[in-house]
Amino acid sequence: MTNKPDYYTLLGLQRDASPEEIRQAYFSAARRLHPDKGSSAQDTEKFLEIQAAYEVLRDPKKRAKYNATLPPEKIESGLIQQIVLYSRQSVPRMKEPQLVYALIEFSTTIDSKALPAPPLNLCLVLDRSTSMHGQNMDKVKATAIQLLRRLRNSDTLSVVVFSDRAETIIPATHNIELKKLEARIQMLQTSGGTEIFQGLESGYNEIHRGLEKSHVNHIILLTDGRTYGDEEKCLELAGKAAEAGIGISGFGIGDEWNDDFLDKLASLTGGSSLYISRTRDIQPTLIEKFNKLWRVYAKESMLEFKVSDGADLRYAFRLQPEVGLLPVESPLRLGPILKDIDLKILMEFMVQSPGSQAEKVRLLDGEFKVSISSQPVPVQSVPLHLSRPVADSTKLQTPPEEIMKALSHLSLYRLQEQARREVAAGKYTQASRRLQRLATHLLEQGQKGLARTALLEAENIQHQKKFTQGGEKHIKYGTRALLLPKQEEDQP
Amino acid sequence: MIICPSCQYKEIPGALFCSQCGAQLVTTSDPDLQKDPMIETGSNTKGKPNLKSTSPMMSAGAHISLHLVESGQILPLAEWNEISLGRVAEGQPIMPDIDLTPYKAYENGVSRLHALLKMVHNHVLILDLGSSNGTYVNGNRLVPSVEHPLNHGDMIHLGKLKIQILFSPENK
Repeated sequence: MTNKPDYYTLLGLQRDASPEEIRQAYFSAARRLHPDKGSSAQDTEKFLEIQAAYEVLRDPKKRAKYNATLPPEKIESGLIQQIVLYSRQSVPRMKEPQLVYALIEFSTTIDSKALPAPPLNLCLVLDRSTSMHGQNMDKVKATAIQLLRRLRNSDTLSVVVFSDRAETIIPATHNIELKKLEARIQMLQTSGGTEIFQGLESGYNEIHRGLEKSHVNHIILLTDGRTYGDEEKCLELAGKAAEAGIGISGFGIGDEWNDDFLDKLASLTGGSSLYISRTRDIQPTLIEKFNKLWRVYAKESMLEFKVSDGADLRYAFRLQPEVGLLPVESPLRLGPILKDIDLKILMEFMVQSPGSQAEKVRLLDGEFKVSISSQPVPVQSVPLHLSRPVADSTKLQTPPEEIMKALSHLSLYRLQEQARREVAAGKYTQASRRLQRLATHLLEQGQKGLARTALLEAENIQHQKKFTQGGEKHIKYGTRALLLPKQEEDQP
Repeated sequence: MIICPSCQYKEIPGALFCSQCGAQLVTTSDPDLQKDPMIETGSNTKGKPNLKSTSPMMSAGAHISLHLVESGQILPLAEWNEISLGRVAEGQPIMPDIDLTPYKAYENGVSRLHALLKMVHNHVLILDLGSSNGTYVNGNRLVPSVEHPLNHGDMIHLGKLKIQILFSPENK
């Protein structure tokens, strides 16, 4: 470990500086420090240093070799730092379009573990439609009561239930009379249909009443059914919630609910969506979600960006703290950074031919904003500039292991997405073949159960021309879960 | 463009995994080891320096055949990079690339998706896909999902089904 600044810092350059920029930086520094100017011995030493730096950076081969020895570039801005990994060191000069992946990690610069967790302002929005009747409802009630008991004095929890209309059974208040509130939850009965907008709107109103900047404001929606006709209104409300700093997370129980809708609802606000296939998973899944909310360090993180000309952002995915597909439009709401889990996102860019003169391919320029509850002052935003130098050689480059690992799982999730699109387009044979390939990869990764489901669905598509609702969700969320860090994978 | 070795899809340069079939398109080992593909693909073979000599490179365009010992039949394999061995069972959606049913696969305990043959950098590898009765190479049972290199004349058991692997040069 050496404390010497790297060659780029020495010359005041960014890592992706073009040869011309390097040349200019060197000459201006050299002019300043040249021994002929009769400067001090210290300056002469510096002069020799920049000389050495230039010797390396001017030569593309030496530079590439040197780059490989550098740790990933860190950009710090006060309390937040970012590290970017790219799938390739440089973009070869080619006529055809190429793909570049960037894995961006946002983390805290301070030891945040000891900080007190920000107070919660939560609303549980529970589906009480007839289909929830029985064990599912009992488990939901029991879990709600359990969560109520775990609240700290600073937390607020409101509960809204809905069917075709909504009812606020516990309003947002600090004044918690536990016994009374528990009784209200116990008395819940199932009835009616599922109109998510009704519940969501009441939930939004409750959260809004207790809305405070320093709190983690979050709506948790639990449903087991499809909502009809009010999806657009829900998404509009989610947009409004996001503006106000309210996150929405959606939990789908069983096989009937609309996963595309719930995923979208959650991603608009930086929240997460989850599939609960079995009744006994309701409790651990909800509690896990609460535990995450209790570990929030920075919240409402948002990336405002502009994709550069000649580049195309084709795919964006959040890898952690919670997995989920991201929309590819600015602003991107990314949810919280937890005290113990950084925020990581993966982006896929397609870049057009850099042209014969270009020395650099710009991918994206943006700004990462976040608010930290324990900090009264607004946190400075972090600039994000993604670009790659252009190289004339087309030498094979080994991508960082972390990108390979993430993509090895993400490519399976994307096979599943493609199979769904193919079924929707009536290409059943292709969809079926794709699921078989997916199954082979799953077997290679030791995912026997999921592979079996994929094969059964492949058959089902050939006969029935569609997925089974359960199988479809199982494969989607199963492949998505492969992206989670190992310790969370084996939950019962 | 780059061509996926597994499904021949024309993928955009820079892609790391095939968007059509999910196959990995780049190698990821330590750059120093890259010259020896055997070491990079079989993580359990590190530290066996003589491995290279015992695992001959297939010359480009060479053929591989499966010799089914019981029936004496020889199945030449056409151009391939990954090929799955198993058996088709009625009412099951599993379609291995090579169906061994005609060679008494069921009686010999071959799983529906039993093993995968892979061609990596002109080396032939076999991978057990978690079969019920196991895959053996020259009498040694393979650990599921771990690649094992194959040489000319190696005897493979899929369950009890005996197959000998034969390499033959192109112009023979």
